[in-house]
Amino acid sequence: MNKIYLRFVKLLNPVLSRAGVDTVQLYDILRIKLIIDERRPKAMFAVRQNNKKKVQSPWFVSFFSILMGAFIGLTLFLNNMPYVGQTIYFSVFMVLMSLTLISDFTTVLIDTRDQFIILPRPVNDRTIAVSRILHISIYVLRLALLQGLPGMVMIGFIDGPAAVPIFFIQILEVTFMSIFLVNIVYLVLMKFVSPQKFKDIINYIQIVFSILIFGSYYLLPRLINVTILENISILSHWYSYILPPVWIGALNELLFHHGRANLITIFLAITGLVVPLLGLWLVAKVLAPGFNRRLSIIATSDGSQNTPAAVKTERNSGFMDKIADLVAPDPVENAGFRITWKLATRSREFKMKVYPAFGYIPIYFLYFTLNGKGQSLAERWENVKAGHNYIILAYLCTFLLMAALSNVAMSDKYKSAWVYYTTPISEPGKILSGMYKAILVIFYIPYSLFWGAVIVSIWGPAAINDVLLAMLVGIIYGILMALFLIKGLPFSKPVMIKQSGGRIVTTLMTMILLGGMGVGHYFLMRWETVIWIAIIPFLFISWIMLYYYKKTTWEGLEMADDL
Amino acid sequence: MSETPLIQIRNLTKYYGTKLVLKNLSLDIYPGQVIGYIGPNGAGKSTTVKILTGLIPDFSGEVIVDGISMANDPQSIKKLFGYVPENAEIYDVLTPLEYLDFIGKLYGMEANTLADRATKLLAAFGLANNVNDRMDTFSKGMKQKVLLIAGIIHNPKIIILDEPLSGLDANAVIMVKELIMRLSKEGKTIFYCSHMMDVVEKVSDRIMLINKGEVIADGTFESLKQNHSDTLERIFSKLTGREDSGNEAEAIINALD
Repeated sequence: MNKIYLRFVKLLNPVLSRAGVDTVQLYDILRIKLIIDERRPKAMFAVRQNNKKKVQSPWFVSFFSILMGAFIGLTLFLNNMPYVGQTIYFSVFMVLMSLTLISDFTTVLIDTRDQFIILPRPVNDRTIAVSRILHISIYVLRLALLQGLPGMVMIGFIDGPAAVPIFFIQILEVTFMSIFLVNIVYLVLMKFVSPQKFKDIINYIQIVFSILIFGSYYLLPRLINVTILENISILSHWYSYILPPVWIGALNELLFHHGRANLITIFLAITGLVVPLLGLWLVAKVLAPGFNRRLSIIATSDGSQNTPAAVKTERNSGFMDKIADLVAPDPVENAGFRITWKLATRSREFKMKVYPAFGYIPIYFLYFTLNGKGQSLAERWENVKAGHNYIILAYLCTFLLMAALSNVAMSDKYKSAWVYYTTPISEPGKILSGMYKAILVIFYIPYSLFWGAVIVSIWGPAAINDVLLAMLVGIIYGILMALFLIKGLPFSKPVMIKQSGGRIVTTLMTMILLGGMGVGHYFLMRWETVIWIAIIPFLFISWIMLYYYKKTTWEGLEMADDL
Repeated sequence: MSETPLIQIRNLTKYYGTKLVLKNLSLDIYPGQVIGYIGPNGAGKSTTVKILTGLIPDFSGEVIVDGISMANDPQSIKKLFGYVPENAEIYDVLTPLEYLDFIGKLYGMEANTLADRATKLLAAFGLANNVNDRMDTFSKGMKQKVLLIAGIIHNPKIIILDEPLSGLDANAVIMVKELIMRLSKEGKTIFYCSHMMDVVEKVSDRIMLINKGEVIADGTFESLKQNHSDTLERIFSKLTGREDSGNEAEAIINALD
């Protein structure tokens, strides 16, 4: 694949060398950058992959892009209203493209190593600038073509072969538009936030992105009612005139469905052709120069010692102090509690893996409950409200606990955990119980209470006892999982390569146990007092289990082999 | 030394924001010299190196290398330099051979010479069995060796080494020290930045000590000894105002009581 791009770039050589670019160096820089891209794990997939070092083959990534393209291409088949279908297609295309650009390409744009590897070598500025532009272009076009390929085939069946080249132009339009938007996002971010914050914000965008992908995959088929969509008249709302996908879809409407086209469609189609080009020109002429300068500021301020601005001071949180002293009074336990709290809320790696769970849980809930064929969305929602399915939501919160626990012992920087082994800790279980309490206090309990409040506000106060019991069951389940599966001090183990067979069996067993408790709970729900009474023994059980968890010895712990 | 200096720095001044990092720094370096460039943290060592290697293009003053001015033609100057950076930045998803091939080509080396030289150098540094392994599995010392090779692969006239021994084991340290002396006999000029006083003392024919952006001592180790103290470590602490390190240690001990 890369060879084709490189050969294509070679065609430009005469023009480039006249512009002062060293084409031999350019070729080599591009070649190396493409190899590095190929071997770099993609942020999008790393979320759900335990092992970060494992690299997806480029074919798999391409396949995924094509699959996404095919998935959104289905909207093109809205026969009665092709314009609506096109608008949806290009909207999703643009969102996907922009998010991929932001989340995956930031690391490439801000490759600080270039400063030390390429800049000291005899390479002139123009060559570096052109290599950067071409690298981005290759990346973006590859993505656009893969993602658009299924759509191009589909449109050929729908509107005939003549529509294919037009569709290609539309894909270019939407790509340029995405680049323009992403540039604006970057510029705004860089203008208003510090480099350190900038990376954090990109991290959050990545998290939102993975939730969006997950949500659209599970929920879109449930939420979209095709018959309604076919009756939307897109141009009857004033705001649709300012949406870029509407302009882009207009081209197809104008050329292949003349019947419905009018002066407004012509105007929109022209806008769709002109604005992306204008945007691209604006990016190249006005935005790009400042962009590169700012990027290099971000890059240099990162690792170097001479920019005091990059130093991040943490506020002393009196709130955390109070909670820590309250729930973990023992000094060792207190240390475990604080270190977990601080590392979990500050490490990007942990956030990236755990925070998406915040979004997955309500998505799962809607996915499980919003079924019922042939009913409208409102009817299905009424069914949910009438039943007792809210208990699913209460139990799903355990998923967050699971996500946090299975990542809390792991870190890229696991070697810093040497402190646990060189300090005279006789009861490592205290650190573990501090860690567990921290996860409960910062993630699980507030999150469960939040959804508990939502449940009570929708289903009424009769749900309070169910929420509380589910929370206790979740806490017990969490300790079980921690006892049998985690076996590591906070952030002390390398990211795992693969789970052993025994682990999977234990995971299944605990899952079945959790499911069984949930089902039992569901059947007992009609007797309110039973639930209230059940809370008491469960409170006791969780207290005992935490007590035993605290007794974990060094023999019961696993540590990294290569500290 | 009647010949013309290879590197001339005149009135070099550099600010970061409002903070003055280099204050009218001037120095001449002659061909074949091994310069030991030392100074406390934040003295301006790294900044000097970054300006010399073209990483920081805006500065006031004059930098002339081999008769070429940095302001006019940085590319020709970069060709003369080999640079081993301090912070071990490397594209570690590549193999050493791929990386060296890339670096060599940026210097415009011919492919066959390059491949041949890269293989021989890797073998000489004891990495013959790892030429096709990805560097993300390498130890710090192995990466450092690849960086050293990348700094000399195009046979440069001037070699800038910024803390080149970090992560290397004792045998590799001895080898690199030997290598520095051999390179200097071959007529290479070496600019050596380090905090390891004992190594600087041994390999350099001329030591420059900078503090707060200014050169505060310049000469052979022998001449510095006559004027100040008997080891480079002592000279260093005397000149950079840390003579009372006994008092500091005292304060630390007291704090523990």
